[in-house]
Amino acid sequence: MSGLTFLSPLFLIGAIAAAVPILLHLFHRKTEVVIDFPAVGLLKRAPVQQHRRRRLRELVLLALRVVALLLLALSFARPYFAGAAAPDTVPLTVIAVDTSMSMSAPGQMDRARAAATKAVAAVPGSHALALLGFGDSAIVAVEPTTDRSAITSAIARLEAGATGTRFRTALARSSEIIGTREGHVVIVSDLQQSGWESNDDGGLPDGVGIDVISVPPPVGNLAVTSAERRDRRIVASIQNFGNTEITAPVRLFTGGKELATTEVTMAARGAADAELLGSLTGSEAEIRVDDATGYQADNVRKVLLDPSPAIPIAVVVADPTGSTGGLYVERALTVAGDGHEFAVDVRDGREVTKWNGADQPRIAAMFVLGTRTLDRKGRDAIRNYLNRGGQVLLAAGPDVDPGTLADVLGTKLSFDEEPVRTAGATMIASDSRHPIFRPFLNPSGPLGDVQVEQHRRLKDEGDRTVLARFSGGDAALTEQTVGDGRLIVFTSDLDNEWSRFPLNPAFVPFAVETARYLTKSHRPQRSVAAVDIRESNPAATTIGEFTNAIERTTRAGLLEARNAARDIEDRQRWWQVGLVLMLVALAGEALLGRRTT
Amino acid sequence: MPGPARFLDPAIVARLGTIDLKARTIVEGFLTGLHRSPYKGFSVEFAEYRQYLPGDDLATLDWKVFARSDKHFVKKYEEETNLTCHLLLDVSGSMGYASGEVTKLQYASYLTGALAYLMHRQRDSFGLIAFDDSISALLPASARSGHLRMILLALERLEIGARTNVAKPLHDLAAAVRKRGMVVLISDLLDEPANVLDGLKHFRYRGTDVIVFHVLDPYELKFPFEQAARFRDMETAEEVMAVPDSIRQDYLDKMQNLIAFYRRELGLVGIDYCQLDTSQPLELGLMSYLMTRKRVL
Repeated sequence: MSGLTFLSPLFLIGAIAAAVPILLHLFHRKTEVVIDFPAVGLLKRAPVQQHRRRRLRELVLLALRVVALLLLALSFARPYFAGAAAPDTVPLTVIAVDTSMSMSAPGQMDRARAAATKAVAAVPGSHALALLGFGDSAIVAVEPTTDRSAITSAIARLEAGATGTRFRTALARSSEIIGTREGHVVIVSDLQQSGWESNDDGGLPDGVGIDVISVPPPVGNLAVTSAERRDRRIVASIQNFGNTEITAPVRLFTGGKELATTEVTMAARGAADAELLGSLTGSEAEIRVDDATGYQADNVRKVLLDPSPAIPIAVVVADPTGSTGGLYVERALTVAGDGHEFAVDVRDGREVTKWNGADQPRIAAMFVLGTRTLDRKGRDAIRNYLNRGGQVLLAAGPDVDPGTLADVLGTKLSFDEEPVRTAGATMIASDSRHPIFRPFLNPSGPLGDVQVEQHRRLKDEGDRTVLARFSGGDAALTEQTVGDGRLIVFTSDLDNEWSRFPLNPAFVPFAVETARYLTKSHRPQRSVAAVDIRESNPAATTIGEFTNAIERTTRAGLLEARNAARDIEDRQRWWQVGLVLMLVALAGEALLGRRTT
Repeated sequence: MPGPARFLDPAIVARLGTIDLKARTIVEGFLTGLHRSPYKGFSVEFAEYRQYLPGDDLATLDWKVFARSDKHFVKKYEEETNLTCHLLLDVSGSMGYASGEVTKLQYASYLTGALAYLMHRQRDSFGLIAFDDSISALLPASARSGHLRMILLALERLEIGARTNVAKPLHDLAAAVRKRGMVVLISDLLDEPANVLDGLKHFRYRGTDVIVFHVLDPYELKFPFEQAARFRDMETAEEVMAVPDSIRQDYLDKMQNLIAFYRRELGLVGIDYCQLDTSQPLELGLMSYLMTRKRVL
């Protein structure tokens, strides 16, 4: 059921103005009906037909004016179509149904739908209803409505997904729907404990009632929690979330065919590894554990079998001979992943000019160590690559021309003209949690041994994040976005000219982790599961525990926000003044129009 | 319009009391203005004295009065007359029209009263005939004292009648008039022009002088209406739907043609024609009468 409603229905009062031209028409019509006149005999041959045409034109004009006024008022009332939308004053009951993966046990969702339908029938007739499906997020399936058939139809369409559970998110969304009116929330869920573990916010305002309907979880559940390839074997870890020991078959599939099977026995709430041996061909393998009563989505895990293709990295240097420029970076990257992780291509700046549009998307990251031999096309190529989502590390060593950097990068990057000379500045990570510094758990460790004799001083740290600084305080490593891409700037060189960093033990892990960070979007996952492992644990709370866990909030914040919004709207009422003036102008036009006829 | 002459304004006259007062005010105001105007030569002689004014004929000075009072007075002689005047007043429905404060009938009544008053001052014999499609009031001509009051009383009691039929009362009266005299017709002449003309010619054939006052409202002369309307005839109730803008010129042409017809055709038979606008002072009517009377006498 749908209907037309209005955001600002008070503006419909303006439709009364449509009566003005009508009244004027009727008023003037009465006065013009008869004029007593003595010399009517001289009027007999007057063109009466013209008068009739004019009357018709007047009626059309009148209709247009009335329609214009009505449409004006209607427009400002901001009409919209809503499905039997309930007004804000009607009490609202929100039916929130858990559709997370933990509701996917056989028959569980049927019981949830039945419970939700029963809850709808129990809601007082004076209440409006809204339907919410929640997992990791809360989605409004049906907006507040008085149409109960729409609610029950939507309940029948609810299905369990592969998401986790976040109760606070569901409660927050319910509160948002209820707003400031009288409200009630009905939660239909398995009350899974892990649903409270997420670090999210949300609760119910004071005065909002809650009913919790528990749909009991399965007594146990098996899940494949990890799997990896070890030569010709697949080793999978199977977790028993039940309270009894259980033995279950585990199967290995490739290309849709079962390659191997084995049985594993798991203690209560324990885990066991399953080793499956077979001829591993194809790109991926699938491990399945038989679990007829538990959640189905966590019974399968996939393992990628193909060795990952090497990730292409381009190193741009300014050395015409190519004999030394980029050497250290190339050597550092080629040892990663047993020599298979990266495919490094060192190029002189003049060769960059020859890149065509098809080359650039294949380059996962670019290390720019020299720009002096880049011509205009080369600079444009790098700038376009970066702006289109490319990942670039710039080492601002002696082969970099600061004057052309803006052309190369498409962003302002200003250095002092002369490099800063030091006796040997050390490098200190500003954010040791950054993935680049993951190997350097102790900031004073290998990274602290790096000594840099010369570096460039950034004039403006602006919109970039400083990841590391030299001991003198100057930025050593910065990160920023440029267009859709990412730019990391090392303010010294990586070619063993201004520092001995390339000879330091920290250089290889630094280069590799930087490359991995820049190319992370190109790295395939080796083992893929469809669900969050926490969702596989059917441990549930009681209704009492669940209710006690709900944080109660005040509506003051909501009311304040609403009042603030209203205040803003109040201050922006000039358009309403404009509307009134427009109505007056139209009414005046109608009056003048009548007088001139 | 300063001084007594302002009372010639029909709108001001309408606010005065009885028709008697109105008639006297009009005539006195008219005569006062006349004495000071270059038209005084048209004036009749009255039995009265008035102060000598530079330019007066010294022959008219009353030396006896001068000898007694040492003041110069001009002696005005009362003229012996046997003029009989018939005032014919149209009271048909169309005479009830007014775009302003004064209807055509009121205007015509004021003029009739003023003429009667003037005739009374001149010792003329005068009578009144009010008519629409027939004679509704008849006061035979008389010069007796008290006759003026009867005429003015009759004027005050006049009511709007029905349709206009100017020709019939004209023919009836023409047959009844036996002495040489004068007929004054005051009407809007919204009748068949040929019939009106026939009736008036009837008088001329009998040697009676005629003056016609054609009284029209300013709206009849200008047709200033703006809104489309149904125009209803005040006598026949016939309705005509019309848009003024589109018919105005046609109407004005017809009205001017009608006025031109009367002026031309009446002039050909020696009838004085005076077209009056109810917004104009009554002076014009009185002046026309005096000019005609002078010619008759």
